[in-house]
Amino acid sequence: MTAPVLSVDHLSVSFPGRAGPITVVDDVSFTLAAGQSLVIAGESGSGKSMVCQALLGIVPDAATVTGSRIDWRGRDLLRTTDADWRAIRGAEIAMIFQDPTAALNPLITVEHQISDAIRDHRACSRAEARQRTIEVLGLAGFPEPEHRMKSYPSELSGGLRQRVAIALALSCGPALIIADEATTNLDVSIQAQIVKLLRRLKDELGLALIFVTHDLGLAADIGGDLLVMYAGQAVERGPVRDVLDDPCHPYTRGLLRSAPTLTSTRAVPLRPIPGQAPKPGSIGAGAPFRSRCPVAIEGVCDVLRPDWTTAGASHDVACHRFARDGREGVQ
Amino acid sequence: MSGTLEARDIVKTFTVTRDGKARVINAVNHVSLSVKPGEILGLVGESGSGKTTIARIMIGIERASAGAVVYNGRAIETRSDWQALRREVQYVFQDPFTALCPTMRIGDALAEPLIIHKIGEPGERQDRVAKMLELVGLHADVARRLPNQLSGGQRQRVNLARALMLGPKILICDEIVSGLDVSIQAQVLQLLLDLQQELDLSLIFISHDLRVVHYLCDRVMVMYLGEIVEQGATADVFGAPEHSYTRALLAAIPDHSRALAVLEE
Repeated sequence: MTAPVLSVDHLSVSFPGRAGPITVVDDVSFTLAAGQSLVIAGESGSGKSMVCQALLGIVPDAATVTGSRIDWRGRDLLRTTDADWRAIRGAEIAMIFQDPTAALNPLITVEHQISDAIRDHRACSRAEARQRTIEVLGLAGFPEPEHRMKSYPSELSGGLRQRVAIALALSCGPALIIADEATTNLDVSIQAQIVKLLRRLKDELGLALIFVTHDLGLAADIGGDLLVMYAGQAVERGPVRDVLDDPCHPYTRGLLRSAPTLTSTRAVPLRPIPGQAPKPGSIGAGAPFRSRCPVAIEGVCDVLRPDWTTAGASHDVACHRFARDGREGVQ
Repeated sequence: MSGTLEARDIVKTFTVTRDGKARVINAVNHVSLSVKPGEILGLVGESGSGKTTIARIMIGIERASAGAVVYNGRAIETRSDWQALRREVQYVFQDPFTALCPTMRIGDALAEPLIIHKIGEPGERQDRVAKMLELVGLHADVARRLPNQLSGGQRQRVNLARALMLGPKILICDEIVSGLDVSIQAQVLQLLLDLQQELDLSLIFISHDLRVVHYLCDRVMVMYLGEIVEQGATADVFGAPEHSYTRALLAAIPDHSRALAVLEE
């Protein structure tokens, strides 16, 4: 096991609210090594995007980021000056957003967007920047880069735009790429290509990859580790395969039961999780999933936040029921 | 009486101008389809395949360049034909956020189809709204709310309720669960199945998510570049796809069924 490049320790993000701070990311910890991937899965409002924004120092102005430490190659991202952020953002940690149309400037050609980014971060000539642009477009699977990089974003399809966004992310040779729902708006066949591309880049360039998704099927395709989030808290973590084959948190199980697969039919009805996610700030003490949980323990789950319990080799679950009754309890 | 809605040999062309040159695009190319009473028909394909265009033509939002829309054996031609058709066939849109007027209370939005089609007295309309809200699993109080006070899942329930206000026979559902979270998506799918049973509806269910279509639909049509490349019973098409495009689509779907198989044991 290589040493982690990123180690997030007790990260929290909160916003000011009328009745005290509203916590949207609550005490999340994880580590990630070079050449490894971490999938953060959860539904809207689970805080998964806010975790990514904290890692890039781009949380909204109103937000407060707290925690013990976010260790990035020996530096603490929680105590970073604006000048240092500028050196890290894009150059060391890059992000691919959900909407490539919004991420690219419509008035500038593909070539100039990427070469401008390169020249912002390193001293190099125009010709060198151009060479690097062609190189990263090639890496991102953009066809005929020399010729087609003269295009404007509007002249490209959604899939090609996302490849440009990936090339832009790669352009300054980052060590970590964060893909926040980067394939959500794409057609399935394009999505499959992009996932394959990200996996290949991770292996070939030794990149660390954080892939944020609401689709557990995609999590399986990315591989690596999985962190399941619910209402701002991490509820289950472990190797993707282990978690999906043997989900131990009632929320993870509920999610898997409500998501149709290529084999599901009406004969075996989906079992939706009843109710809806709690409003941010309304969780208080106790397990975040308790209001929708079929196996919540009265007097325990509503007063005490569950600690991590071991469910297997590097597979942990934050659930009182699992801690008390094991797998039988969360059936 | 239930109805049969058909599209016969529909062609739809759009003219686009690019670099000063006009070009004709065949968005829908000689497509025929029909939905039978009580049936759930899935229409799948990627963006640009023409699945939304054909659905919009079938309800008259878009006019076909050639071909006919036929309801219960009768071609729909005049303005009043279309008006009558839209009582029986309703369209539910993809985005629950833009489909509702942000300044209109939910109760008024639901009563509007009744007003447009001059059905019922004002007092009675409120009762029908309350009943419909209950039918889609919402509290009657929701009638007083504005769309921004509702979650995405609740809004999609409101959209379904509004489509059902006129007691239609056929619903065209255009990607209605794509924007929803998985746990909410399952709730809406369950509601759709319950309503379909209870009200004896036919559904045209448009989706790019083959997992949802496999779960929901009796029959499926695969569209590619404006044409139907494969169709048949869902189990047949998914079990033994004949067209290479269908096979490619199926191969691209992320799937965690292995994990689920363990769960069902």
